[in-house]
Amino acid sequence: MNLAEIAKYAKIKGLNLVGTGDFTHPLWLKEIRETLSPEQDTGLLKLAKGDSPIRFMLQTEVCTIFDYQGESKKVHHVILAPSLEVVDQINERLKRFGDLASDGRPILDATAPQLVEEVMAVSGDNMVFPAHAWTPWFSIFGAFSGFDTIEDCYQDMTKYIHALETGLSSDPPMNWRLSKLDRYALVSNSDCHSFWPWRIGREANVFDLPDFTYNNVVSAVSDNDPERFKFTIETDPAYGKYHWTGHRNCKVSLSPPEAIKFGNVCPVCRRKLTKGVEQRVEELADRPADYKQPNAPGFKRLLPLSEIICAVLGTDSPAIQAVWKPYNALVEKFGDEYTVLLDTPYEAMALVVDAPFAQAIVKVRDGTAKVTPGYDGVYGQLVLGSDVPVVKPKPPQAPKVQQRSMSDFFGA
Amino acid sequence: MFKLKVSDAKLLRDMATAISILVDEATFKIESDGLKLRAMDPSRVAMIDFEWPKSVFQEYEATEPTKICLNISELLKLLKRAGKDESVELGLDDKTGKLLVTIMGKYARKFTMSMLEPSEEEVPTPKISFNVKAKTTTSGLSQAIEDAQLVSDHVKIEAETDKITLSATGDIMGATITIQKGTDALLDLEVKENAKATFSLSYLSEIIKAAAASSEIATLEFSTDMPVKIDFQQAKEGKLTFFLAPRIETE
Repeated sequence: MNLAEIAKYAKIKGLNLVGTGDFTHPLWLKEIRETLSPEQDTGLLKLAKGDSPIRFMLQTEVCTIFDYQGESKKVHHVILAPSLEVVDQINERLKRFGDLASDGRPILDATAPQLVEEVMAVSGDNMVFPAHAWTPWFSIFGAFSGFDTIEDCYQDMTKYIHALETGLSSDPPMNWRLSKLDRYALVSNSDCHSFWPWRIGREANVFDLPDFTYNNVVSAVSDNDPERFKFTIETDPAYGKYHWTGHRNCKVSLSPPEAIKFGNVCPVCRRKLTKGVEQRVEELADRPADYKQPNAPGFKRLLPLSEIICAVLGTDSPAIQAVWKPYNALVEKFGDEYTVLLDTPYEAMALVVDAPFAQAIVKVRDGTAKVTPGYDGVYGQLVLGSDVPVVKPKPPQAPKVQQRSMSDFFGA
Repeated sequence: MFKLKVSDAKLLRDMATAISILVDEATFKIESDGLKLRAMDPSRVAMIDFEWPKSVFQEYEATEPTKICLNISELLKLLKRAGKDESVELGLDDKTGKLLVTIMGKYARKFTMSMLEPSEEEVPTPKISFNVKAKTTTSGLSQAIEDAQLVSDHVKIEAETDKITLSATGDIMGATITIQKGTDALLDLEVKENAKATFSLSYLSEIIKAAAASSEIATLEFSTDMPVKIDFQQAKEGKLTFFLAPRIETE
């Protein structure tokens, strides 16, 4: 993977701005310096060669592992910075807590407040926020090694935390259910680790800014101002790998009430279940599921175009030619993937690709497609329903076997 | 105040082993007529219903109904120290409030064990009407389960008037095991209505393996898509019964 490829697929997707990722890693930072050049007075970078419209924001993710009240806590954080000089200073400070060259996302022997203190001491323009806030492992609210509140995690440095990344498995309505999150902006990033269009831009933040600068983006987020931070693009939270509680090895996937019925123990192998995001939100929520937060940025639910095409073709492989063909046809005709997913009418798409593809896109856009929830590291699956005539249905799977509980038979 | 003495430590050890398959912390009721336990495993897929009347014990004293909760794995560690023909006595150490476990053989060994907070949950009797009752040898049943386990993690058990069929299908292999009525393995079969139900093999296997130590005859009762009740006939008086919830095939 290199920055030129990221820029190429970001443009195909319809993005304007992407994070560089991994600025803490010396080799990747060297690549950033060699491939990108700072844009005058914006705090953003662009490809040094060519005329790509894609801008990059200096960004990294780090992992802090520390003890809190006798328990080990493992939390990932996103860091944004306005210049390479600031990045150098951040790295200089963070290398005291761990080997930055060991991984793109280094593990730091620092507490969360220590991390924020170090980063914010370099520049008040820097931004730190918790990454994929709800995933079971390595997140601020994670079921296995997280906290119940942002304040417990960041302590006296909470004043510098203005946002949290909701992750694929949760969306704004799920987060609105916690009144203690009201003051935080809910940002949606892809955490893609790949430039392919079924990973990059799966989630995104949409801004309306007077000028396209680092400071304008960061302040729109910090202020959580719906006039500037317009909306987020969200996958259906069920698509996320940790939406429901389950156990991957035993193919056990359970809604929160079902998981509670089984005592959060796998009914097949009797090991502890991996608690999903929906159940974890339910535990911490103090508002009903249909609560709508006033004056918050909006959101739109989408799924990657490649995934939609896969569902029509009955395949799990987005990288095959049969998927690329309708993908490329749509993107070439309408400019980029977001334009296809968000704005292009059915009739126009049906002139370019077979009707079932256009039908499926509209169904996802309208929110009438269903997603079988992901669990314990397994992505959710788009289910189009019988009204979309799939080109080739998936081969019939062996019937699924669902475990019942003895509790179901006490009142029979 | 209670004192329970079992003349053969193996009896108590086998019982504790069978219970430990499902429960880590076991709440026993010590009543005037005997020792009882009814509990579900943490995932509530299986249930054990155990009773030893006072006649099973060499000595049985219970001045008032009492509940005690024990870590069954810890108790097993102690019981494993008891040899053949050694007796075991369970009582309350008045001074410490702990369980006093005395193993009597060539010499006397006394252990104390902390007790846990008894569960307040009363597990009800499942309300199921069974259409099939099959009396099998525990070893025959165990063999059939082991065969099915080679290919899958669950098994479908079907009953017709003259036979029981166990079928399992895995990704690579399948298995069908037929046990005819009147054979050494299937001693008796009563079928009101043909029935089939699917069960987790890991539960079945562990339950049967653990109960086999104290029982040679197992009676299965089930109906379509309902829990199976497996009653393991005890050498002495007493009841060791397991219930296992079914798995349901869905599209």
